[in-house]
Amino acid sequence: MSDLELSVMAKDTDRAKPLSGRWVWNAVLPAALVALLLGFAAFDHGVLSPANLLNIAQQTSYLALFAMAQTVVILTRGFDLALGPTVSMVSVGTALAMAGATATGHDTSVVLFAGLGAGFGLGIACGLFNGVVIALLGVNPFVATLGSYNIAIGIATTLSSGRPVQGVPKLFSQIFYGGSVFGVPAAIVITVVIGIALHLILSCTVFGRSLYIIGTNPRAAAVAGLPVKRILVATYVLCSGLAALGAIMMTARTGSGEPNLGGALSLQAIAGAVVGGTSLAGGRGGVGTAVLGALFITILSNGMNLTRIDGYVQMVVLGAIVIVGVLLDRLRLERGQ
Amino acid sequence: MSTARVTAGPQSSIGLRSIAGRIGFLPALLLLLVAAMSATDPQFYGIINILNILRNASLLAIVACGQALVIVAGGFDLSVGAVVALASVVTAKTMATTATAFPGNTALIIASGVAAGLGCGMVVGLVNGFCVAKLKVSGFVVTLGTMSATAGVGLMITNGIPVYGMPDIFVKGFGRAQAFGLPTAVHVALIVILVMVFAQRRTLFGRYVYAIGGNVDAAVVSGVSIQRHIVGTYVVSSVLAALAGILLTAQVGSGQASFGGDRMMLQSIAAAVIGGVSLRGGVGRVEIVAISALFLTILGNALNLLHVDSRLQPVFLGVIMVAAVALDELSRRRKARV
Repeated sequence: MSDLELSVMAKDTDRAKPLSGRWVWNAVLPAALVALLLGFAAFDHGVLSPANLLNIAQQTSYLALFAMAQTVVILTRGFDLALGPTVSMVSVGTALAMAGATATGHDTSVVLFAGLGAGFGLGIACGLFNGVVIALLGVNPFVATLGSYNIAIGIATTLSSGRPVQGVPKLFSQIFYGGSVFGVPAAIVITVVIGIALHLILSCTVFGRSLYIIGTNPRAAAVAGLPVKRILVATYVLCSGLAALGAIMMTARTGSGEPNLGGALSLQAIAGAVVGGTSLAGGRGGVGTAVLGALFITILSNGMNLTRIDGYVQMVVLGAIVIVGVLLDRLRLERGQ
Repeated sequence: MSTARVTAGPQSSIGLRSIAGRIGFLPALLLLLVAAMSATDPQFYGIINILNILRNASLLAIVACGQALVIVAGGFDLSVGAVVALASVVTAKTMATTATAFPGNTALIIASGVAAGLGCGMVVGLVNGFCVAKLKVSGFVVTLGTMSATAGVGLMITNGIPVYGMPDIFVKGFGRAQAFGLPTAVHVALIVILVMVFAQRRTLFGRYVYAIGGNVDAAVVSGVSIQRHIVGTYVVSSVLAALAGILLTAQVGSGQASFGGDRMMLQSIAAAVIGGVSLRGGVGRVEIVAISALFLTILGNALNLLHVDSRLQPVFLGVIMVAAVALDELSRRRKARV
């Protein structure tokens, strides 16, 4: 992050703003969401059908999970460009472990644990690598995660030989994709539970609060006696762990380990977090901003699909939305002050 | 992150040690790689392979030089890969259209195509610069947005199908031609690097870019027009990316929306960073970035010749990138302690 951006965005302490101004600007994005939904509904009544709304919620739950993962590191002025490749790597690893365990004739529960263990193991290893390189070696997060981006892609495609990995047991897909609690699909349940837990961690624990302090003023955090390096490592592990969970859910959805499952996810997750109002200058954002941003992007692409807007045009619109979203956020901050 | 260090540019002291310190370990690493490869595989120093390496390195170096300039000013340009694609498509399409309107008028056809290609690079650069400098949106986000939009426009124009119909002389007489035994791209890259070196050291623009990246507040106080120069860096970066796109189009003989892409963008940042450009801004020189582009290209070529699985190759790139920057960071800390 540049000095210019920081000096511009460093005024972001939004704690001491007059309440009214904050309230109006905070309502902009939710209002835009509703307007978007109604606008698309005017073109196609299918948009507001219960089936499509459930579909939107389910699609959002994956992106929201990744946006939350990204938000955690962005809070500390970091990035995780490697999130997408981590997802691919975890997907391949999980599928391979389960296929291997099935082939050696193990029990179904052992197979499931092998898959989950391999998936989370790979995710946490990736997070540890990022965290150690960034916090202990002092490498810029952009470069460090760009490095692990390449490494994870290499591992994912090498392990899978570039082909989808078959042999994921039915039960795995039934639990993490087909399953439901009181009629609510598993993906939504998992994301909601994780979202609440993460919100509590961010707002009520020392670890969570220290992320905000590190993002707002790293030097002050160090002077105040926080173990900044250890917290940063834990942050990146948490981010990759959440990414691994999302990868496991997506693997259950496709029913195979996909070496290019992650694709553009890194940037999509960053876009989701940022559009929702997470500040790249650190210290501002949370579960709410991540979910809002993910919801916005999902509704936008869902609506454009239903109204049959060309996929290439969608790319242009998405790009413009990201910029406008951040611009609105900056205006919100300035007005609020 | 906001601690600004003003180590802008070259000092006047000349001495072997200071030169070695300034250039760093990259050329040594490059020589080592070349020597090792020449010893293990005679194919490596075959003339075809060398020309191939130089051609690819030139394209990467052109894009990386622009990227380096933006990073020195404290920004990022994620859109360069998409600009390469867009410029390629627009150039080819314009040439094909002009060729049907004015058949036989080769000079006009080529001029209009190249102008259109560079023009669309300039437009993207202006949009980037405007959003960053005037609207104060973070460079990362802006170029993330324009990357998606630019790639979308490129695909929209072509529907993903290669565009043919360029005049023969543009492909055979320019793109695939060789002067003094070197491909055109190499000459263009050398010119670009020389101009950029001159701009960085001898022009106000170059000096101000260092000043802005080193310490924005100090630059403002000294009366540097921040906005104009930041727009300038993004325009230079996009126009150079467009130039690389045009060269690639001339070489391949068709305009394709699949040129450049994320790979080119990531490699250009990798080249800049391995070439000693600090992501904190204010530090970095294009000639070393060009060497580092050559290094990355030779590395990829070497891995191919050694039959390293192409799927495994990104791992090497990633490890080397992290290691290079970590070493740089550690040595700086040691210096700071003394």
